[in-house]
Amino acid sequence: MWRFLHVVAIGALIASAAYVYSVKYQTIYASEQIVKTRHLIDKERDAIGVLRAEFAHLIRPDRLQALADGKLEMQPLALSQIVAADELPEPAAKVDSIGRKLESLGLLGQSATPSAGVAGATPSLR
Amino acid sequence: MSETSANAEKAVEASPASALPRVGAGEDRIGCLMRMARDLFSTRLDKSGGRIRLIALAMLAAYLGVAVKLVALGLSHDPPQTLRVAAEQAASGARPDLLDRNGEILATDIETMSVFAEPRRIIDKDEAVELITAVLPDVDAKELRERLGSKKGFVWIKRQVTEKEQEEIFHLGLPGVGFQPECKRVYPNGPLGAHVIGFVDKDNVGIAGMEKYIDQQSLADPHVAGFSVDPATLKPVRLSLDLKATHALRDELAAGMERYRAKAAAGAIIDVDTGEIIALESLPDFDPNDPGDVKDPEKINRINVGVYEMGSTFKALSIAMALESGKVSLNSRIDARDSLRYGHFTIHDFHATHRVLTVPEVFTHSSNIGAARMALMVGVEGHQAFLKKMGQLDRLRTELPESAEPLVPKRWGELNTVTIAFGQGLNVAPIQAMMAVAALVNGGNLITPTFLPRSEAEAAALAHRVVSPQTSESMRYLMRANATHGSAGAADIPGYYVGAKTGTADKIVSGRYSQDKVLTTFMAITPADKPKYLYLVMFDQPQGLPEDGGYHTAAHNAGRVAGRLIERIEPLEGVPPASQLPSQPFPLLARLGYGYDADKAGKE
Repeated sequence: MWRFLHVVAIGALIASAAYVYSVKYQTIYASEQIVKTRHLIDKERDAIGVLRAEFAHLIRPDRLQALADGKLEMQPLALSQIVAADELPEPAAKVDSIGRKLESLGLLGQSATPSAGVAGATPSLR
Repeated sequence: MSETSANAEKAVEASPASALPRVGAGEDRIGCLMRMARDLFSTRLDKSGGRIRLIALAMLAAYLGVAVKLVALGLSHDPPQTLRVAAEQAASGARPDLLDRNGEILATDIETMSVFAEPRRIIDKDEAVELITAVLPDVDAKELRERLGSKKGFVWIKRQVTEKEQEEIFHLGLPGVGFQPECKRVYPNGPLGAHVIGFVDKDNVGIAGMEKYIDQQSLADPHVAGFSVDPATLKPVRLSLDLKATHALRDELAAGMERYRAKAAAGAIIDVDTGEIIALESLPDFDPNDPGDVKDPEKINRINVGVYEMGSTFKALSIAMALESGKVSLNSRIDARDSLRYGHFTIHDFHATHRVLTVPEVFTHSSNIGAARMALMVGVEGHQAFLKKMGQLDRLRTELPESAEPLVPKRWGELNTVTIAFGQGLNVAPIQAMMAVAALVNGGNLITPTFLPRSEAEAAALAHRVVSPQTSESMRYLMRANATHGSAGAADIPGYYVGAKTGTADKIVSGRYSQDKVLTTFMAITPADKPKYLYLVMFDQPQGLPEDGGYHTAAHNAGRVAGRLIERIEPLEGVPPASQLPSQPFPLLARLGYGYDADKAGKE
C-alpha cells in the first residue's frame, strides 16, 4: 500500500517537474517572441517615421508649386471662381437635343420609336 | 571505542585540576579531531550520528554561503556597462514632432546610425585610422588619430552615416568600433517658417526658435539628467502656423523682393481675435536642415528681433490715442495748412494738402502734421502712458526665445512725442506693432501674440482692454476709408472688405534720415467690419519701378504684395470672398451719426 503511494507520488513529482519544465520553456519562447515583435514594431515605427518625413518632403508646397507651374496647364484660382452654393444657377430643363434636331430635319417620323398603341406591343395579346 | 570516549570524558573532567591545563586541552583537542576524522570514515551505524551532524553542519555552511551571496547580489547594482551608457548619453535624444495647425509635419525625427570608437580597445590605432578614413573619406585622418589617441573611453568617429557606410565599417571588423542609433532632426519643408521653427544642433538640442522653446518646456537636457526619452511617449507639438499660408507668404515676399530689388523682406499674418501667428517669414532666411552661418545679421527674424521705426503705420496708434482721450472725434478738424515748426525742426507732409483736415483725412492723406498735432493734444505723459499700455515701450516676449528691446528715447520731450506720433524716433519690433494694431481693430483687447494654437476663450482670458469698442470701430472705419480712398488702394481686394494703412519710413543712414533708402510697411485687416486677420508686409530698401513713376513708397510695393497675399491666403484659410459689401459694417458709428459708409469718409 505505502509502496504504491510512493510510486504515485514519485510519478506525480516527475510529471509536475516535466510540466514545469515545458511551461518554463514555452515562457522563454514567448518572451523571445515578444522581444522580437517589439523590435519589429520599433523598426516599422522608424520606417514609418522616415516615410512620413519623405512624404512631407515630397509634398512640400514650393515643390508642388514648381511642379504645377511646369507640368500643368492650369491657372491660379481667381477669386471670381469662388461662388457660394446658393449662388449657382438653376440647372436648365433637360432638352432632348438629338430628338429636336431630327424633328427639325423632318426625320423624326421614320426613326421615331414605334409606339405600341393601346392594344399592347406583344402580338399574342392582339 | 567506548573506552576512548570514557577516557576523553575523564580527561575533560580532569583538565581543570591539571597543572598544565593548556597542554592537556591541546592534546584532548587533537584527540577529539582524530576521533571525528575516524568517525567520518567509519562505517559503523552507531557512530553515524556524529557524521551526520558534521555533514549537516557543512551543508548549513554551504547554504549560508549561498544565501549571503544571493543577498549580496540583490543589494549590489549591476556593474555598469560603461560603454553602452556612454554611447547612449552621447547619442541624440528623440524630440517631439512639430506640426502646423492643420497637422502637416514641420519637423520630425528619423533614425540614423552613428559610428563611435572605444580608443582603449583599439589595438593598432594607426591602422584603424587608415581603414576608417578609406571608408569615410570626409573624416579628417589627423584629427581622428588625435581623438583615438586620447584617454577617453568613448569618441564619435562620424555622426549619422549612411547604411552603405555603416555596412563597410562593419565589414572592417575593427575591435572597439561600434554603432549607436541616433535621432536626426529633419525639416521636410526646408526654409519654410524657418525663423519660427528654429533648428537643433548635432546633438538634437534645440538652439533657436520653437525647437529651443520645446526644450525649455519639457526636455530640459535629458542627457545631463541621465535618462533618454522614449520616442513613443513624445506627443507632437502643434504650432499656430499654417504651412500653406506660410508658403504663400514666402513665395510672394520672395517675388516682391526680387521685383522691387529690396534688401530684405518680412511679413506676418496674425489672427486678431486669438493672437495666433498664422504665418511668419523673414527674407533672407536659411534652411534649418543646414543652418550654416546663423550669426549672419542679414538672416535674423526681422519680425521678432529687428526693431524699426514703423513710419506712418504708427499713426494708427496716435489717432486711436487721440480718439480714446476724447479730445478728438472723427468729425474734429486738424489744421495742416502750414508745416509744423518745433524748435528748429519743421514737420512736413509727404502728400501735403495745405488745408484743414478731418480726422479721416489725416489718416488717408497720412498727414504727419495732423498726427503730431493730435499727439500734442494728448501731451507727452499721456502719449507715453498710452504707448506703454499698448506694449510698445517694453520688450515683447513670445514663445520664441528671440526677442528685441524697443529703442525708446531716454529723454522724451515734446519733440519726441511729435515725431513718434508719425512713426519716427521710436524703434519697435514689427510683431509689437502688429499686436497693437490687432488690439486697435479687434474691439480693443490687447492679446500677446503666440506661436501655439490658442482658442478664443483662452485669448479672452489673457486679453485686457486698451481702447473702447467705439475707438476700435473708428480705427476699422479709418482703415477701410484708407483702402478705398487713401494710399492703401492696392490691397483693396473685392470681396474681402479690406482696411489698411501704409507706412514709408526713411531709413537713418549715418545719423541722417535718408531720402532714397526707405523701409516700407503695410498693415491690412480683413474684413474691416469684423477683422479676422491682420497682414503685415515689410520691405527694406525697395527700389521704385519705372512703371510706378519710380516711387518706392509702401503703396507701390508692400501694398501690392499685401493685396496678392489677401487674394491668395484668404481662400486657403477657408474664407470665400463676399459677393456684396456688409450691410452695416460700423453700427456704433452709425448710431453716432457718422454714417457707416467708410467709402465716403475720405472724400471732402
